[in-house]
Amino acid sequence: MTGFALARRTVARYKARTTLAVAGVAIIAALNFDMLLLSRGLLLSFANMIDSAGFDVRVTGSAGLPALRVPVAGAAKLADDIRHMPEVDGVAIVRFEQAFASAPDGRERGISLFGTSEGSTRGGWTIIRGHTIDAGDASDPAGIPPLVISRQLASDFGVEPGSVFRLRAGVAGERSVLPFLSYRVVGIADFSFDTVGGYTVATTLEGFRALEEDRLSDDADVVLVASKPDAGPDAAVAAIARLRPDLHVYSNQEVVEQFNRNGFAYFRQISLVLSTTTALFTVLLVATLLTVSVNQRLGEIAALRAIGISRQRVAAMLLWESALLVGLGGAIALPLGGALAVGLDRILRGMPGLPEQLHFFVFEPRAVVLHAAVLAATGVVAALYPVRLAVTLPIAATLRRELGS
Amino acid sequence: MGLGKGCRRWLLVLLLVMTAAPHASAPPVDPEAVPSVLFSRQLLKAAHLAVGDLVLLAADPAGARAARFRIAGVYEPTPDPLKFNVERLEARLHLPDLIQLTATPSDPQSAEWVTAVNVRLANPADAERFASDLARQSVGLAARATARTREGDPFTVLERFHVAIAAVTMVGSTAFLLALMVIRAEERRDILGMLRLIGISRRSIVLEIIVEGVIVAIVGALFGVLLAAGAQYGINRFFQARYDTTLVFVRVTASIVVRCLVIALPIGIVTGAAAAWTLLRRVPASLMRR
Repeated sequence: MTGFALARRTVARYKARTTLAVAGVAIIAALNFDMLLLSRGLLLSFANMIDSAGFDVRVTGSAGLPALRVPVAGAAKLADDIRHMPEVDGVAIVRFEQAFASAPDGRERGISLFGTSEGSTRGGWTIIRGHTIDAGDASDPAGIPPLVISRQLASDFGVEPGSVFRLRAGVAGERSVLPFLSYRVVGIADFSFDTVGGYTVATTLEGFRALEEDRLSDDADVVLVASKPDAGPDAAVAAIARLRPDLHVYSNQEVVEQFNRNGFAYFRQISLVLSTTTALFTVLLVATLLTVSVNQRLGEIAALRAIGISRQRVAAMLLWESALLVGLGGAIALPLGGALAVGLDRILRGMPGLPEQLHFFVFEPRAVVLHAAVLAATGVVAALYPVRLAVTLPIAATLRRELGS
Repeated sequence: MGLGKGCRRWLLVLLLVMTAAPHASAPPVDPEAVPSVLFSRQLLKAAHLAVGDLVLLAADPAGARAARFRIAGVYEPTPDPLKFNVERLEARLHLPDLIQLTATPSDPQSAEWVTAVNVRLANPADAERFASDLARQSVGLAARATARTREGDPFTVLERFHVAIAAVTMVGSTAFLLALMVIRAEERRDILGMLRLIGISRRSIVLEIIVEGVIVAIVGALFGVLLAAGAQYGINRFFQARYDTTLVFVRVTASIVVRCLVIALPIGIVTGAAAAWTLLRRVPASLMRR
């Protein structure tokens, strides 16, 4: 009889303890799996989010948080110069500002307003109803600037494509007497950067400037660049940096690396600490269960050895027992961890100001491979001490003692 | 209570720092006549400066309209969990010095503006009402309570996340403890059978196994608390060195210890009772394998 067959019989014989041990391993391994998802989830989600806008290079006036950045002066000429570079496929000038919308109940609601020169092909939103804005959109006979609004805003305000929407410029937390301007809603969209519970609208640069009363009309908060596939973002970054060494130019990959170093540090570290702790916890508990189980079966193991079952086979039996406990628990941990990740992600996404499409727990095949590797190592390490106990067992003395008792 | 567009005595600023290197042609400067400034420990270290040094500060990246200051002291920035991974390169100036440094000469009004006024209310509970009264009376002024509401606080969200993880860990631990108690009980099935046959009541045996479960759970919880107390030192030292901050990342408080023990108690009772039930539902003879 092989070590696996012996282990299978032992596991089947002690159903209650096996079920409880597998349940314990499944719960702890699910947590471990979630920590593996968390270790890179935010990073993958963030990378996916900024890539989805369709641009792979960003040009800013200074480093740091968007709200604290120096604007890019002379944006129109800069965009024109960049557009003519052989490495570049497309350019968009982007402005953003906090504004206020007039709600149906007469109250004012804060919104995030984007102005962009590129609304037709790329823009960081997906149109659900209506059509997107276009810098050359002259379809409105009254000359009212076009507006794309988020799905949540459309639902809460009861607005559909074709409606007139009123906005005014403003600084968050301050009162203002600036007048409201009218915009024509041309589309309803899902925005990549829409915050949970927040409202986002996008318009053309002309529409944005109308609200700003032409203040700083040739500035941009960021200039987005799409590189040509054959040139790649690095070549575009180098070319733009040569053209304007005073500006900060980043590829999406560099932005993600910066995020990884700064904004993501906490979650990377907590996932490392918790995955290490849970792996150690599993080792300790499986080792304890196996050791107690071996101690209970000393007479049985000595009898197996006495009838000629080799040390290697006894060791293999215990390794298989450990593998079955950890393996079954680990397999159950995958769907359990998936369900748990949904709940934990929902809790963390309650943080204020997070984009709706940003997730903390993101599935990737690499996490499953790592999960399997951690569990395999856990199973082997947990079996080491019980195996040592079993293979160094003095057969005759143990049988005498067990029979005597 | 913080008021937008008010004033406060000390302000945190990020400014261009240039060491005021003495020039051979420059007239000697009386350090006592130069306005004083406080530097954060991190800024002093990063700029390789010392208390008593003269520095030039400017609000303009090109160094225009720089003013000379004497470093009067060094301070440790108040630990802020929202800034734990930010380098605290900060300086504190007297308000008139800061206004002189940052005001636009062509705009006299710019010297009249400050970022915020901090107000301490006689009754802090009145903060919301005070803010709303003030906002009604003064157009263009925003007033808000400095105390963060529970909703929308990122640390409340993190707390919920940690509580959820702790709950999952507790469920896993309970399953393991239950498995351990079942094995322990089965190990002694002969003894338990014998005890039943000589007349020891089922109730007494259940009580013994429950007490054993409670002891294992409480000793385990105490060991966990001791382990956490030891780990808190290591974790705090590591992260404080990593982020150059005095922020405390882990703290084992009395309330956490009490919570651990209070949770351990019912877990011990439940696992002990379940383990006892698996054996005592059988007749005494079957426990003796008869």
